[in-house]
Amino acid sequence: MRILEEPAFVLHARAFRETSLLLELLTREHGRIGAVARGARSAKSRWRNRLQPFRPLLVGWNQRGELGTLTGAEEVATLPPLKGEALMCGLYVNELLIRFLHRSDPHPGVFSAYQALVGSLSAGEQIQPLLRVFERDLLQDVGLGLQLDHEAGGERDLDPATHYEYLPESGAVPRDNQADSAHPLVSGEALIALRTGQINDSQQRELKLLMRRLIRYHLGDKPLASHDLFR
Amino acid sequence: MNEEPLLEQLIEALRCLPGVGPKSAQRMAFHVLERDRDSARHLSTVLSKACDVIGHCADCRNFTELERCRICASASRDSSQLCVVESPSDVIAIERATGYRGKYFVLLGRLSPIDGIGPAELGLDQLKARLAEGEVSELIIATNPTVEGEATAYYLQEMASQQEIPVTRIAHGVPLGGELEYIDQSTLAMAFSSRQSLSR
Repeated sequence: MRILEEPAFVLHARAFRETSLLLELLTREHGRIGAVARGARSAKSRWRNRLQPFRPLLVGWNQRGELGTLTGAEEVATLPPLKGEALMCGLYVNELLIRFLHRSDPHPGVFSAYQALVGSLSAGEQIQPLLRVFERDLLQDVGLGLQLDHEAGGERDLDPATHYEYLPESGAVPRDNQADSAHPLVSGEALIALRTGQINDSQQRELKLLMRRLIRYHLGDKPLASHDLFR
Repeated sequence: MNEEPLLEQLIEALRCLPGVGPKSAQRMAFHVLERDRDSARHLSTVLSKACDVIGHCADCRNFTELERCRICASASRDSSQLCVVESPSDVIAIERATGYRGKYFVLLGRLSPIDGIGPAELGLDQLKARLAEGEVSELIIATNPTVEGEATAYYLQEMASQQEIPVTRIAHGVPLGGELEYIDQSTLAMAFSSRQSLSR
């Protein structure tokens, strides 16, 4: 199968053989794919500095079996490079995508969300609310979405004034106080903010803890390595 | 060839070298056996001695057969400047090209969470302790301008700032003798955004 000019981002590149790179790409129509860029590490390669994360590319590749062979990579636009915290968060998101998306499983929605996220990170927008919304949409897209419309059981709407214990399998369970819950409580107000995407400063911390816990739950034993970078 | 297990083993062993495939390995094996057994014996002694003796410098993590490498042990090098690089070959490149008189710290890699390379693997605890000693007054970050190199640079920058040590980063931009027309967009954008004032 030969694919031409497909919008893509490099999620990760590692050295492969003597002069090649093994790329993990996030593409719009084909999801995450693995592809070899032959000779990309040699001094003369025209791909040499293009195949870096966070750059919007148009790529072509031949797919036979599990790994593709890269045939082309053009830079579509030059975004200002990610710096500092935005860069660290970008690496975290890349790891998240590699862990949650299977190869050759198309998720055009995730691609669009990622594209928008990279643009916002590059433009220096406030990072944390963007990450929460991206995490919410990613989990939704891979079928692990949060239940943010109503309380666990589905009978009552979330109440902004109530505190909840959020359980990954069932949803938000109302709790009167922290002692009744095995996990930190999260306010109904914050859960509603996560649903609407209008997250304010005071809700950031509880939502971050919530998403971190849920992601760890879904990923199982092997935690995200990127978390070591945020100490 | 199975009736010559030793020859087979030699060819297989040579393939551990970078850039050596089955064909080259076979050529090398036949070459040393046909014409140059003495050099091969010498190679094997040196190789095994090097593997036993060469370790990492206690201060900078670069390769050395002593406890401290030549640069770290030298009294004429300036201990107040510390340049952080990714690999031993970067030290050689900087030594050759510049008149830098300070010392180095070699990470032997770069932060890459997906590959499982975090701060601990790069000896950053050791570097932190070194910075805390208070001798360093400038941390020069010379990691590569790749995404992982930049992430490493940011991490180092945060670490040094916590201890209030001034940090500098080597400049990135247009190569000498290059022409703007042929430079890739990102490099040119970087060079443009970090332009320097020439007015006096």
